[in-house]
Amino acid sequence: MRRVALPIAVAALLALGGLVALELLRPAGEPTPPEQARQIAGELRCPDCQALSVAESQTAAAAAIRRQIVEQLAAGQAPAQVRAYFVARYGDWILLEPSSPFAWWAPPAVVLLGIGAFALWLRRGRGEVPPIETAPNPGAQDRIREEVEQLDA
Amino acid sequence: MRPARLRWLLVPLVVLPLAWLLFTGLGRDPRLIPSPLVGKPMPAFAGATLDGDRFSSTELAGKPAVVNFWGSYCIPSCVDEHPVLLDLVARHGDDLRMVGVLVNDTPDGARGFLARYGQVSWPNVLNADASISIDYGVTGPPETFFVDARGIVLARHVGPLTPAVVAEQLAALGIEP
Repeated sequence: MRRVALPIAVAALLALGGLVALELLRPAGEPTPPEQARQIAGELRCPDCQALSVAESQTAAAAAIRRQIVEQLAAGQAPAQVRAYFVARYGDWILLEPSSPFAWWAPPAVVLLGIGAFALWLRRGRGEVPPIETAPNPGAQDRIREEVEQLDA
Repeated sequence: MRPARLRWLLVPLVVLPLAWLLFTGLGRDPRLIPSPLVGKPMPAFAGATLDGDRFSSTELAGKPAVVNFWGSYCIPSCVDEHPVLLDLVARHGDDLRMVGVLVNDTPDGARGFLARYGQVSWPNVLNADASISIDYGVTGPPETFFVDARGIVLARHVGPLTPAVVAEQLAALGIEP
Protein backbone atom coordinates (compact mmCIF):
# COMPACT_ATOMS: atom_id res chain seq x y z
CA MET A 1 0.00 0.00 0.00
CA ARG A 2 2.80 2.37 0.95
CA ARG A 3 4.51 1.75 -2.37
CA VAL A 4 1.46 3.07 -4.19
CA ALA A 5 0.50 5.87 -1.78
CA LEU A 6 3.79 7.75 -1.90
CA PRO A 7 3.98 8.18 -5.71
CA ILE A 8 0.30 9.16 -5.77
CA ALA A 9 0.88 11.81 -3.07
CA VAL A 10 3.93 13.17 -4.91
CA ALA A 11 2.05 13.24 -8.20
CA ALA A 12 -0.89 15.03 -6.55
CA LEU A 13 1.41 17.61 -4.99
CA LEU A 14 3.18 18.18 -8.32
CA ALA A 15 -0.15 18.59 -10.09
CA LEU A 16 -1.34 21.05 -7.45
CA GLY A 17 1.90 23.02 -7.70
CA GLY A 18 1.57 23.10 -11.47
CA LEU A 19 -1.96 24.43 -11.26
CA VAL A 20 -0.94 27.13 -8.82
CA ALA A 21 2.00 28.11 -11.04
CA LEU A 22 -0.25 28.23 -14.11
CA GLU A 23 -2.73 30.46 -12.29
CA LEU A 24 0.03 32.77 -11.09
CA LEU A 25 1.71 33.00 -14.47
CA ARG A 26 -1.53 33.41 -16.43
CA PRO A 27 -1.51 36.83 -18.10
CA ALA A 28 -4.19 39.04 -16.63
CA GLY A 29 -6.93 39.92 -19.09
CA GLU A 30 -7.67 43.51 -20.07
CA PRO A 31 -9.98 44.96 -17.38
CA THR A 32 -13.41 46.01 -18.57
CA PRO A 33 -14.41 49.71 -18.29
CA PRO A 34 -16.53 49.06 -15.15
CA GLU A 35 -13.53 47.29 -13.57
CA GLN A 36 -11.28 50.19 -14.56
CA ALA A 37 -13.77 52.68 -13.11
CA ARG A 38 -13.93 50.75 -9.82
CA GLN A 39 -10.13 50.57 -9.67
CA ILE A 40 -9.68 54.32 -10.28
CA ALA A 41 -12.44 55.16 -7.77
CA GLY A 42 -10.64 52.96 -5.24
CA GLU A 43 -7.43 54.95 -5.73
CA LEU A 44 -9.02 58.38 -5.25
CA ARG A 45 -9.71 59.96 -1.87
CA CYS A 46 -13.29 60.98 -1.16
CA PRO A 47 -13.03 64.83 -1.05
CA ASP A 48 -15.57 65.41 1.72
CA CYS A 49 -15.04 62.48 4.05
CA GLN A 50 -12.16 61.01 6.01
CA ALA A 51 -10.09 57.94 5.17
CA LEU A 52 -12.51 56.69 2.54
CA SER A 53 -12.00 56.20 -1.15
CA VAL A 54 -14.38 57.52 -3.77
CA ALA A 55 -15.42 53.89 -4.37
CA GLU A 56 -16.37 53.36 -0.71
CA SER A 57 -18.04 56.69 0.05
CA GLN A 58 -21.74 57.41 -0.35
CA THR A 59 -21.42 61.22 -0.35
CA ALA A 60 -22.73 63.26 -3.27
CA ALA A 61 -19.21 64.44 -4.14
CA ALA A 62 -17.92 60.86 -4.34
CA ALA A 63 -20.91 59.87 -6.47
CA ALA A 64 -20.21 62.81 -8.79
CA ILE A 65 -16.57 61.78 -9.15
CA ARG A 66 -17.58 58.16 -9.84
CA ARG A 67 -19.94 59.43 -12.53
CA GLN A 68 -17.20 61.54 -14.11
CA ILE A 69 -14.79 58.57 -14.09
CA VAL A 70 -17.32 56.44 -15.97
CA GLU A 71 -18.04 59.27 -18.44
CA GLN A 72 -14.37 59.93 -19.12
CA LEU A 73 -13.56 56.23 -19.66
CA ALA A 74 -16.56 55.96 -21.97
CA ALA A 75 -15.22 58.97 -23.88
CA GLY A 76 -12.01 57.03 -24.57
CA GLN A 77 -9.75 58.49 -21.87
CA ALA A 78 -7.04 56.16 -20.55
CA PRO A 79 -7.09 55.41 -16.78
CA ALA A 80 -3.88 57.45 -16.36
CA GLN A 81 -5.53 60.43 -18.04
CA VAL A 82 -8.56 60.12 -15.76
CA ARG A 83 -6.31 60.07 -12.67
CA ALA A 84 -4.35 63.06 -14.00
CA TYR A 85 -7.64 64.95 -14.50
CA PHE A 86 -8.46 64.72 -10.79
CA VAL A 87 -4.87 65.38 -9.67
CA ALA A 88 -4.89 68.58 -11.76
CA ARG A 89 -7.91 69.79 -9.78
CA TYR A 90 -7.32 68.47 -6.27
CA GLY A 91 -3.54 68.01 -6.30
CA ASP A 92 -1.71 64.83 -5.23
CA TRP A 93 -3.89 64.93 -2.11
CA ILE A 94 -6.65 63.19 -4.05
CA LEU A 95 -4.50 60.05 -4.48
CA LEU A 96 -4.81 57.62 -1.59
CA GLU A 97 -1.35 56.26 -2.33
CA PRO A 98 1.60 58.54 -3.11
CA SER A 99 2.53 58.59 -6.77
CA SER A 100 6.23 59.14 -6.21
CA PRO A 101 8.30 55.98 -5.51
CA PHE A 102 10.48 58.19 -3.28
CA ALA A 103 7.63 58.36 -0.74
CA TRP A 104 7.72 54.55 -0.43
CA TRP A 105 11.49 54.18 -0.15
CA ALA A 106 12.36 57.22 1.93
CA PRO A 107 10.99 56.05 5.34
CA PRO A 108 12.72 52.61 5.38
CA ALA A 109 15.89 54.23 3.97
CA VAL A 110 15.90 56.79 6.80
CA VAL A 111 15.32 54.03 9.39
CA LEU A 112 18.19 51.96 7.95
CA LEU A 113 20.45 55.00 7.92
CA GLY A 114 19.55 55.66 11.55
CA ILE A 115 20.28 52.07 12.56
CA GLY A 116 23.58 52.23 10.69
CA ALA A 117 24.56 55.50 12.34
CA PHE A 118 23.62 54.13 15.76
CA ALA A 119 25.66 50.95 15.20
CA LEU A 120 28.63 53.07 14.10
CA TRP A 121 28.27 55.24 17.17
CA LEU A 122 28.17 52.18 19.43
CA ARG A 123 31.31 50.72 17.83
CA ARG A 124 33.24 53.98 18.07
CA GLY A 125 32.08 54.52 21.65
CA ARG A 126 33.33 51.07 22.62
CA GLY A 127 36.74 51.83 21.08
CA GLU A 128 37.13 54.90 23.28
CA VAL A 129 36.70 53.03 26.57
CA PRO A 130 40.09 53.30 28.39
CA PRO A 131 41.89 49.95 28.46
CA ILE A 132 41.79 48.13 31.78
CA GLU A 133 45.17 47.91 33.43
CA THR A 134 46.10 44.27 33.49
CA ALA A 135 48.80 44.60 36.12
CA PRO A 136 48.16 46.66 39.26
CA ASN A 137 50.93 49.00 40.19
CA PRO A 138 53.59 47.67 42.57
CA GLY A 139 52.50 49.84 45.52
CA ALA A 140 48.96 48.56 45.33
CA GLN A 141 50.16 44.97 45.11
CA ASP A 142 52.17 45.41 48.32
CA ARG A 143 49.24 46.99 50.11
CA ILE A 144 46.89 44.18 49.08
CA ARG A 145 49.37 41.59 50.25
CA GLU A 146 49.68 43.35 53.64
CA GLU A 147 45.92 43.57 54.08
CA VAL A 148 45.47 39.88 53.22
CA GLU A 149 48.16 38.93 55.72
CA GLN A 150 46.41 41.03 58.39
CA LEU A 151 43.15 39.25 57.66
CA ASP A 152 44.80 35.85 57.89
CA ALA A 153 46.51 36.74 61.20
CA MET B 1 39.45 69.98 15.55
CA ARG B 2 39.27 66.53 17.15
CA PRO B 3 36.80 64.01 15.70
CA ALA B 4 35.07 63.70 19.11
CA ARG B 5 34.26 67.43 19.05
CA LEU B 6 33.13 67.22 15.44
CA ARG B 7 30.67 64.55 16.51
CA TRP B 8 28.96 67.01 18.87
CA LEU B 9 28.48 69.35 15.91
CA LEU B 10 26.18 66.69 14.44
CA VAL B 11 23.62 67.35 17.18
CA PRO B 12 22.83 70.98 16.18
CA LEU B 13 23.16 70.00 12.52
CA VAL B 14 20.31 67.52 12.96
CA VAL B 15 18.25 69.25 15.65
CA LEU B 16 18.22 72.79 14.23
CA PRO B 17 16.78 71.91 10.78
CA LEU B 18 14.13 69.72 12.46
CA ALA B 19 13.22 72.54 14.87
CA TRP B 20 13.05 74.99 11.96
CA LEU B 21 10.72 72.64 10.01
CA LEU B 22 8.49 72.25 13.08
CA PHE B 23 8.20 75.97 13.78
CA THR B 24 7.60 76.97 10.17
CA GLY B 25 4.97 74.22 9.92
CA LEU B 26 3.18 75.45 13.04
CA GLY B 27 3.17 79.00 11.74
CA ARG B 28 1.34 78.14 8.52
CA ASP B 29 -2.34 78.93 8.11
CA PRO B 30 -4.13 75.57 7.81
CA ARG B 31 -6.99 77.30 5.99
CA LEU B 32 -4.71 78.22 3.10
CA ILE B 33 -4.65 74.76 1.54
CA PRO B 34 -2.54 74.75 -1.61
CA SER B 35 -4.53 74.27 -4.76
CA PRO B 36 -3.14 73.25 -8.13
CA LEU B 37 -5.34 76.00 -9.57
CA VAL B 38 -3.44 78.84 -7.90
CA GLY B 39 -1.52 80.73 -10.57
CA LYS B 40 -3.61 79.19 -13.36
CA PRO B 41 -6.65 80.44 -15.28
CA MET B 42 -9.87 79.83 -13.41
CA PRO B 43 -11.88 76.88 -14.73
CA ALA B 44 -14.76 78.14 -16.84
CA PHE B 45 -18.27 77.21 -15.82
CA ALA B 46 -21.86 77.98 -16.64
CA GLY B 47 -25.22 76.96 -15.32
CA ALA B 48 -28.64 77.86 -14.03
CA THR B 49 -28.88 80.15 -11.01
CA LEU B 50 -31.18 80.24 -7.99
CA ASP B 51 -33.09 83.09 -9.64
CA GLY B 52 -33.79 81.01 -12.72
CA ASP B 53 -31.29 82.85 -14.90
CA ARG B 54 -28.20 81.52 -16.65
CA PHE B 55 -24.71 82.44 -15.54
CA SER B 56 -21.42 82.03 -17.34
CA SER B 57 -18.01 82.64 -15.79
CA THR B 58 -17.18 84.75 -18.85
CA GLU B 59 -19.27 87.44 -17.09
CA LEU B 60 -16.49 87.69 -14.50
CA ALA B 61 -13.90 88.82 -17.04
CA GLY B 62 -12.22 92.19 -16.67
CA LYS B 63 -12.55 92.61 -12.90
CA PRO B 64 -11.25 90.71 -9.89
CA ALA B 65 -13.68 87.99 -8.87
CA VAL B 66 -14.62 86.03 -5.80
CA VAL B 67 -16.05 82.54 -6.31
CA ASN B 68 -17.69 81.28 -3.14
CA PHE B 69 -18.74 77.63 -2.72
CA TRP B 70 -21.40 77.16 -0.05
CA GLY B 71 -24.40 75.14 1.05
CA SER B 72 -27.39 75.77 3.30
CA TYR B 73 -26.47 72.74 5.47
CA CYS B 74 -23.01 74.18 6.13
CA ILE B 75 -23.63 75.44 9.64
CA PRO B 76 -22.14 77.34 11.35
CA SER B 77 -19.32 78.07 8.86
CA CYS B 78 -21.47 79.38 6.00
CA VAL B 79 -23.66 81.28 8.45
CA ASP B 80 -20.57 82.85 10.02
CA GLU B 81 -19.15 84.05 6.71
CA HIS B 82 -22.45 85.27 5.26
CA PRO B 83 -22.26 88.77 6.82
CA VAL B 84 -18.61 88.98 5.71
CA LEU B 85 -19.68 88.31 2.12
CA LEU B 86 -22.55 90.81 2.36
CA ASP B 87 -20.16 93.43 3.71
CA LEU B 88 -17.56 92.66 1.03
CA VAL B 89 -20.05 93.25 -1.78
CA ALA B 90 -21.61 96.28 -0.07
CA ARG B 91 -18.23 98.00 0.16
CA HIS B 92 -16.45 96.68 -2.93
CA GLY B 93 -19.24 95.63 -5.28
CA ASP B 94 -18.00 98.13 -7.86
CA ASP B 95 -14.43 96.87 -7.74
CA LEU B 96 -15.05 93.14 -8.03
CA ARG B 97 -17.53 90.54 -9.17
CA MET B 98 -18.97 87.95 -6.86
CA VAL B 99 -20.56 84.59 -7.63
CA GLY B 100 -21.78 81.83 -5.37
CA VAL B 101 -21.79 78.14 -6.29
CA LEU B 102 -23.97 75.66 -4.41
CA VAL B 103 -22.33 72.46 -3.20
CA ASN B 104 -24.61 69.40 -2.87
CA ASP B 105 -27.57 71.60 -2.08
CA THR B 106 -31.14 71.96 -3.28
CA PRO B 107 -32.49 75.27 -4.61
CA ASP B 108 -35.13 75.27 -1.86
CA GLY B 109 -32.51 74.74 0.82
CA ALA B 110 -30.39 77.59 -0.53
CA ARG B 111 -33.38 79.93 -0.82
CA GLY B 112 -34.35 79.16 2.76
CA PHE B 113 -30.82 79.96 3.92
CA LEU B 114 -30.83 83.33 2.13
CA ALA B 115 -34.29 84.19 3.43
CA ARG B 116 -33.09 83.55 6.96
CA TYR B 117 -29.59 85.03 6.90
CA GLY B 118 -29.87 87.76 4.27
CA GLN B 119 -30.66 88.00 0.57
CA VAL B 120 -27.72 88.54 -1.76
CA SER B 121 -27.28 90.59 -4.90
CA TRP B 122 -24.93 88.19 -6.65
CA PRO B 123 -25.81 85.11 -8.72
CA ASN B 124 -25.68 81.63 -7.19
CA VAL B 125 -25.12 78.77 -9.60
CA LEU B 126 -26.95 75.51 -8.79
CA ASN B 127 -24.11 73.08 -9.72
CA ALA B 128 -26.50 70.13 -9.51
CA ASP B 129 -24.08 67.60 -10.99
CA ALA B 130 -21.18 68.87 -8.82
CA SER B 131 -19.05 69.34 -11.92
CA ILE B 132 -18.04 72.89 -10.87
CA SER B 133 -17.02 71.66 -7.40
CA ILE B 134 -14.87 68.96 -9.01
CA ASP B 135 -13.32 71.41 -11.49
CA TYR B 136 -12.29 73.61 -8.56
CA GLY B 137 -11.18 70.70 -6.37
CA VAL B 138 -13.60 71.69 -3.62
CA THR B 139 -13.39 69.45 -0.56
CA GLY B 140 -16.33 70.93 1.32
CA PRO B 141 -18.09 74.25 1.81
CA PRO B 142 -17.33 76.97 2.47
CA GLU B 143 -14.41 77.43 0.10
CA THR B 144 -13.57 80.66 -1.67
CA PHE B 145 -11.38 81.37 -4.65
CA PHE B 146 -9.96 84.82 -5.33
CA VAL B 147 -9.38 85.52 -9.02
CA ASP B 148 -7.61 88.53 -10.49
CA ALA B 149 -8.83 90.69 -13.35
CA ARG B 150 -6.96 88.52 -15.87
CA GLY B 151 -8.86 85.44 -14.70
CA ILE B 152 -5.90 83.93 -12.83
CA VAL B 153 -6.64 82.19 -9.52
CA LEU B 154 -4.70 84.04 -6.81
CA ALA B 155 -5.74 82.13 -3.71
CA ARG B 156 -8.03 79.50 -2.28
CA HIS B 157 -9.45 79.82 1.23
CA VAL B 158 -10.94 76.80 2.96
CA GLY B 159 -13.39 77.55 5.76
CA PRO B 160 -15.41 80.64 6.64
CA LEU B 161 -14.12 83.97 5.39
CA THR B 162 -13.21 86.50 8.05
CA PRO B 163 -12.70 90.26 7.67
CA ALA B 164 -8.95 89.72 8.09
CA VAL B 165 -8.81 87.16 5.28
CA VAL B 166 -10.91 89.38 3.04
CA ALA B 167 -8.66 92.39 3.71
CA GLU B 168 -5.55 90.35 2.91
CA GLN B 169 -7.00 88.98 -0.32
CA LEU B 170 -8.37 92.36 -1.41
CA ALA B 171 -4.89 93.81 -1.03
CA ALA B 172 -3.51 90.95 -3.16
CA LEU B 173 -6.13 91.78 -5.79
CA GLY B 174 -5.06 95.42 -5.77
CA ILE B 175 -8.23 96.68 -4.06
CA GLU B 176 -7.97 99.06 -1.13
CA PRO B 177 -9.57 97.13 1.80
